[in-house]
Amino acid sequence: MKRFAFVGLGMVVGFIAALGLLPAAHGANDMSAYRQLDLFSDAFERVRANYVRPVDDGELINAAIEGMVSNLDPHSSYMDAKAFADMQIQTKGSFGGIGIEVTMENGLVKVISPIDNTPAAKAGLKAGDYIAAINGASVQGMNLNDAIDKMRGPAGSKITLTILRTGDKTAPKKPFDVTLARAVVAVDEVRWHREGDIGYIRMPGFNENTASGLENAVRDLKRQIGPGLKGYVLDLRNNPGGLLDQAVQVSDDMLISGEVVSTRGRHADDTQRYDAHPGDITDGKPVIVLVNAGTASASEIVAGALQDHHRATILGMTSFGKGSVQTIIPLGEGGGALRLTTARYYTPSGHSIQAQGIVPDIMVAAGDEDDIPKIARPSEADLPGHLAGEPVKPKANQTIIRPPATAPKTAADGKPFDFQLTYALDMLHGKVAALPVAPSAAN
Amino acid sequence: MNRLFLVALGAVAGFGLALAASHFAYGAIPLFSTESQLARFGVAFDRVRENYLDKPEDRTLVEGAIGGMLSNLDAHSSYFDPRTYEAMETKAAGAYGGVGLVLTVKDGIAKVISPIDGTPASRAGIKPEDILVSIDGVAMKGHTLDDVSSRMRGTIGTDVALSIARGAAKPFDLKLTRESIEVERLTYHREGDVGYIKIVAFSDRTDPDLRLAVAALKRQIGPALKGFVVDLRNNGGGVLQASIDVSDDFLNEGEIVSVRGRNPQNIERYDAHYGDIAEGKPVVLLINGGTASASEIVAGALQDHRRATVLGSLSFGKGSVQSIMPLDNGAGGALHMTTARYYTPAGRSIQVTGIVPDIVVSGGPGAPDYEREVELPHHLLAEGPAAKPLGKAIEPEAGRAYDDFQLSMALAFLHKTLAVRAAAPDHA
Repeated sequence: MKRFAFVGLGMVVGFIAALGLLPAAHGANDMSAYRQLDLFSDAFERVRANYVRPVDDGELINAAIEGMVSNLDPHSSYMDAKAFADMQIQTKGSFGGIGIEVTMENGLVKVISPIDNTPAAKAGLKAGDYIAAINGASVQGMNLNDAIDKMRGPAGSKITLTILRTGDKTAPKKPFDVTLARAVVAVDEVRWHREGDIGYIRMPGFNENTASGLENAVRDLKRQIGPGLKGYVLDLRNNPGGLLDQAVQVSDDMLISGEVVSTRGRHADDTQRYDAHPGDITDGKPVIVLVNAGTASASEIVAGALQDHHRATILGMTSFGKGSVQTIIPLGEGGGALRLTTARYYTPSGHSIQAQGIVPDIMVAAGDEDDIPKIARPSEADLPGHLAGEPVKPKANQTIIRPPATAPKTAADGKPFDFQLTYALDMLHGKVAALPVAPSAAN
Repeated sequence: MNRLFLVALGAVAGFGLALAASHFAYGAIPLFSTESQLARFGVAFDRVRENYLDKPEDRTLVEGAIGGMLSNLDAHSSYFDPRTYEAMETKAAGAYGGVGLVLTVKDGIAKVISPIDGTPASRAGIKPEDILVSIDGVAMKGHTLDDVSSRMRGTIGTDVALSIARGAAKPFDLKLTRESIEVERLTYHREGDVGYIKIVAFSDRTDPDLRLAVAALKRQIGPALKGFVVDLRNNGGGVLQASIDVSDDFLNEGEIVSVRGRNPQNIERYDAHYGDIAEGKPVVLLINGGTASASEIVAGALQDHRRATVLGSLSFGKGSVQSIMPLDNGAGGALHMTTARYYTPAGRSIQVTGIVPDIVVSGGPGAPDYEREVELPHHLLAEGPAAKPLGKAIEPEAGRAYDDFQLSMALAFLHKTLAVRAAAPDHA
């Protein structure tokens, strides 16, 4: 079996074009496969011959491949030749869009998370929102690629989304329209600032600059704060993931040895281990990682690795639970490509994140989650056809720390009050219960 | 989109079922486009078999592929996998029931239009506007009406668990036992000197029931009888033959409908036979956005022959016919595929354009907002001449309440108290 040296995660996918064209003859080597292919050709022939109007053969086959692949799990899909070409362009540069990470659920497009500082975030789109229509056209029957395609367009152009927000009690009961102007969605840059004697680092995604962004941030924060620096808060909330190698590098930056993550496919020889190298850019200072239900994929690798090595305390709410790896498999000249789930990833202690997510060491709610019933809360386990997680021992029932009723709505600087961040800062200052997990440089 | 859950729109079948199986030899050298396309599928199939995370079942892959191919064709084509097809066959043969809900799906939300009197749904207190959150624990958001409807149905005596949201309150659970639902029987009563007949769906019993209803109304009202109102609102269709028989009941001659497949020689025409059970009395047909398929055949036929005045709002616009083609004698499931369109006697295709009423009358405040064929993803495109533009609707005067504004206008029309522009249809 051919393997690729590179795997893509989340909505941002790594792509390896250097795939030799495999022999065109199908390698189906047992009767079942022949029988099934026969059944397919029978169906194909009947549609060609009897459908009410003639249909292009290529169109039929595209729909068939898409149906075959998207039936497997929510993250596998097919890109036809055009979509594949577009993807290659998009991974190289920035594009006009609205800045949301989405998935497909029950035939509707569901927002996993709005990306910071994009039109979607500014317009107040929320994780768990359903997009029922794009510019008035229902998304039902569209595949995810079509929907994403429709949401992209030149910067400055307008797009109207029809949003269904079921969970939030204060939300309108009926679908409502939001009109946004598309903008150039820059590859997510790492941002940072000091919170007194604590360095705060916001990581909105994982692209090729993320690890170097983290390194810059730490260097700058050390200079700003000086020797009084108490520790770091690494904010991975609503970070939908991205490039695996960057997640590995980010974890490695704070670990001195041991496994970061392993990806395991169907065959034993598919297993790939990624290990940490000596050197901790934070010099062993305490680190708190913020996670929530929008923390997915590559973000969960970082949270899982730092948690298993007791290098960081994970604070927030249980993460999304996307522990699968997609590989781009081109189908040859003009044939488009499969985006196929080929592996699961495992944290150093050997547990799969798939459908389980990372359970924080300290469960702290932002305050708005509880109004979101199960049906609207996005998580991998909710996706129809999601890959089953491997059974894990449930952690002892943790109490969720919630914002007190007296908590202000806005912080002193006018921004919305961030209870999870406040709690993390208090922990680093020793104002709230001692860390249950003593951070140590590494193990 | 609004249809009775008991009636599959696609049931306007009866055409082209006996299509010869043509097997395509797979694996030949890809010389022609079709073969190379099939080979492309073979490559994709192979890659998935080899590389997918868990070893997939070959049949699962192919079922997904056939399903994707079919549902991408248009809004009414789909694949019945072997389990679904077998269950369907069993259902067709045996005691088969529901709970008695008329549903609609709009923006991915399944909503109750009304519970049918005397059914488990109405006894359990389900109300119009209630939202169906889940059926047997499966969330219904984003599911199609066909899917929601088929989950409600099942063997008589079995239970179905519903979670229902009403207003802002927390959803509540109900367990209902399926019964035989007799909604397909038409109902009738006199409205003064007018006979009112409501046909909720087209089944084998519709034509005999209609004849009985007309005879009874004639007897009840006597020689003063002014005419008939035939109510096809929210009638999602049903058996094609029943709609032909109903049209024939009012027509003396001429074509009722033609069903045309892809090849010009694939035309089936259905003609009227002499005899008009209403003896030429005026007939008003009531239609709305929930009037679909077989109902639109009746409306189109009686409109084109100027036998009835069509009153109400624009109909749904489903002018396509689906056939069921078993694969591998049913062992491979069956294709449920659009194979033809139907045309009114004047040669109009109803697809997307729908039936434009002769007198456009609004449903009044509180009338549901119907999702129509044109809003379905992948709908089959309209064909032929554009429909007559929809005129401005007659609206109820402000401050005056009507039980049923469209029916009131129909009665006013039959009593010649409705001031409307010449109501003569101009299609034929």
